[in-house]
Amino acid sequence: MSTVSVNVEEKLFQNRYRVDAGRPHIRIRNTDVCTNDCGEKSCTFVCPASCYKAEGNGSVTLITDGCLECGSCRILCTDHNNIEWEYPRGGHGILFKFG
Amino acid sequence: MKKPSQFDAIVVGAGPSGNAAAYLMAKAGLKVLQIERGEYPGSKNVQGAILYAKALEEIIPDFREDAPLERHIIEQRMWMLDDTSFVGTHVRSDDYNKPPYNRYTIIRAQFDKWFSSKVREAGGLLICETTVNHLIMDGDQVVGVQCDREQGDVYADVVILADGVNSTLARKAGFHGEIEARNVALAVKEILFMPEETIRQRFNIGEEEGVVIEMVGRITDGMMGTGFLYTNKESLTIGVGCMLSDFKKNPNRTSPYVLLEQMKHHPSIAPLIAGGEMKEYCAHLIPEGGFNAVPQVYGHGWMIVGDSGGFVNAAHREGSNLAMTTGRLAAETVIAAKAAGRGYRANALSPYKAALDDSFVMKDLHKYRDMPDILHRNPQFFTTYPDLLANAARTMITVDGVDKKTKKREVMSSFRQRRSLSGLVGDAYKLWRAFR
Repeated sequence: MSTVSVNVEEKLFQNRYRVDAGRPHIRIRNTDVCTNDCGEKSCTFVCPASCYKAEGNGSVTLITDGCLECGSCRILCTDHNNIEWEYPRGGHGILFKFG
Repeated sequence: MKKPSQFDAIVVGAGPSGNAAAYLMAKAGLKVLQIERGEYPGSKNVQGAILYAKALEEIIPDFREDAPLERHIIEQRMWMLDDTSFVGTHVRSDDYNKPPYNRYTIIRAQFDKWFSSKVREAGGLLICETTVNHLIMDGDQVVGVQCDREQGDVYADVVILADGVNSTLARKAGFHGEIEARNVALAVKEILFMPEETIRQRFNIGEEEGVVIEMVGRITDGMMGTGFLYTNKESLTIGVGCMLSDFKKNPNRTSPYVLLEQMKHHPSIAPLIAGGEMKEYCAHLIPEGGFNAVPQVYGHGWMIVGDSGGFVNAAHREGSNLAMTTGRLAAETVIAAKAAGRGYRANALSPYKAALDDSFVMKDLHKYRDMPDILHRNPQFFTTYPDLLANAARTMITVDGVDKKTKKREVMSSFRQRRSLSGLVGDAYKLWRAFR
């Protein structure tokens, strides 16, 4: 299948969010685990909102602003159990207009 | 410490299962509190979405009078795609135009809002913008919920967990473990707006008529999954979902949004969606582990309904009808338990499981219990076969001077090359076993 270029930020831009500034609902417990113990870093390509980024130095960074609250990252990370995953505070996060 | 119950029942979540449960309990005169973390019911919920009328009819018989329904389905297309083609079947019948209609496309944010209004009309109390953090236990009995508000502890005789596929509360309480990646599909979708007239022309349908297209093949990049395209009134919904375990181990490291974008560019799909204005991009997990992945769904003072309990029939793309039915059966159990006055220990709530087992919910999940495993172990059903069939059809239909007998031989040999004779026979048997 031909490769198609995609900018996920453009997709997320169509969505409505109420970001809980300064209170991310998902946290990487120990960044060293991502850097040293996790080879595949599947969160960095499976997350449908591309919240996880693989950095040049082997670490993984997380910005939850565009999170669609699906839960994939938590399940992907079952072996390392390195993601602290909660729903956002009531009324915050993604607010689907159509769902 | 045990506090006096303020409610007969608390329902966590205002999707189809939670609304069904809350509505029926409120209608029966129980004091019901429903807690929803979204700004309004539906604002956290994602579905394809097809509504199967029957399950809702049993809860709100006259729902058609005011429920926000998009189109009733008169045509179902099943497509198998390779890179450039599709082969498939189209089933269309004017019989599907005779009311009462059996299936509709819906937009969940609107539908859930409507369903929730029925709950409130029936006397249920709804609190939105409130996330439940934990269940409150008194020993082994669930006695309430702890919300993320000031003085957010609320007590009830029974708590119904309709909190969705992530099943956060039951997991935190230790009622079941983490979901396995092989038991859950990750789906992404977009809603594309276009004039109603365009939809009618492109899909050859009348004002309220709708078409659904279900797809397998190259669009899932070798993973176990399906794509779909549904017609709404003034929009199309297009999406694709694959097992999370397959995403995780895909050597191409394909992102879900790339998969979706590639699918939108498929030459058989692109003309149908051309010019559509994308207004939302969603992602959601679908519990597809089936019968063997359904956890313990009741205990002392608690019950699990809907996606939270894994009640999805992946083989038939059914979920919201199971959700509403499990919500209904849970509500009926609570209503009976209250009438009997024997408390809400697990033994008093066990009729819920008996009712589930006796309903189409567990019967259907049981019938297809081997399916997830068979498909996991045989990815050729999602990769090789759609390719072979599309190619076979194209070869036979193309008029190029090659005689038909030679063409047939080419097709047969392409099947044997890619799957071997024993492989073909074995696959036929496996499919028969999964579906019988």
